[in-house]
Amino acid sequence: MSERFKYRGDREAHSAARVRALEALLIKKGIITDRTVDTVLEFFETKMGPFNGAKIVARAWIDPAFKERLVADTSKAIAELDLPDGMAGAEGEHMRAVANTPGVHNLIICTLCSCYPWPVLGLPPYWYKDPTFRSRAAREPRAVLAEFGLPISEDVEVKVWDSSAQIRWFVVPERPAGTEGLSETDLEALVTPEAMMGVAVAKAA
Amino acid sequence: MLTQFEHFAITEMMGQPDSPPRANGTLCFGSDWERTSFGIALALAKEGYFEWDDFRNELITSIRAWEDEHPSDYSSWNYYEQFVTALESAVVKTNLLTASELREFFTLSDQTSQ
Repeated sequence: MSERFKYRGDREAHSAARVRALEALLIKKGIITDRTVDTVLEFFETKMGPFNGAKIVARAWIDPAFKERLVADTSKAIAELDLPDGMAGAEGEHMRAVANTPGVHNLIICTLCSCYPWPVLGLPPYWYKDPTFRSRAAREPRAVLAEFGLPISEDVEVKVWDSSAQIRWFVVPERPAGTEGLSETDLEALVTPEAMMGVAVAKAA
Repeated sequence: MLTQFEHFAITEMMGQPDSPPRANGTLCFGSDWERTSFGIALALAKEGYFEWDDFRNELITSIRAWEDEHPSDYSSWNYYEQFVTALESAVVKTNLLTASELREFFTLSDQTSQ
């Protein structure tokens, strides 16, 4: 084995031991319990995240009437699904869905701040808040999408939706061809955060 | 209605020098100790043992120190190593634990892992 890998292994073991010491001491003093870490992280792992958006989109794919309701009144439609409460919470209540069609591709951005439909998309990628991305996506969305590996044909309209404190947009991508036989759960796995931002499309597995 | 502390705490970090690694809309942990350190810091701030912003200042300081020591080669970068350093510093500064207790437990914990 190379020295580099050995070094890496030692660092991992060293860090792991530091964290075990911290956790053990805090538990011993009754400051936290052995459940604390799981409880606090459960929020990200099971309550709020892109898996919620994936469920919403998969339902829209299999139920066209739901998709219509979703675009017309996003919060009300989301409330029909069995999702965690936060969906209609402080930030979730301003969410609006826009659906891609053969003639329209939607892209969400936030030119001003950190607005992001967090409950359905999870944490934003690092570039989402990058000032260059924000300004270029507003000014030349086709060029930016092409750089994301998503060239949009000239006969398809590109609409850019700028999130704000009032409204957080997310995209309902089109259902990929060849997925007719898939279950709702299988479809959920095809929905990525990138597709719900509009910088990618959903693809059949 | 609710703005969950967890939500607020992470949102504050986005786009800042201390943004945690993430992939596909979720926090991205390379190993269990990374996940544990993150959970401990968040839980202690949530319970009011220290202010999240104070912890973040520790974290940003430790990130900057690392960057100053590694001006051109980032290949050995690990966000959570700085995170653990900041967390140790925060628990000592707020008198939750002492530095000598931490050293003692680290030695025990390090031996059991050998």
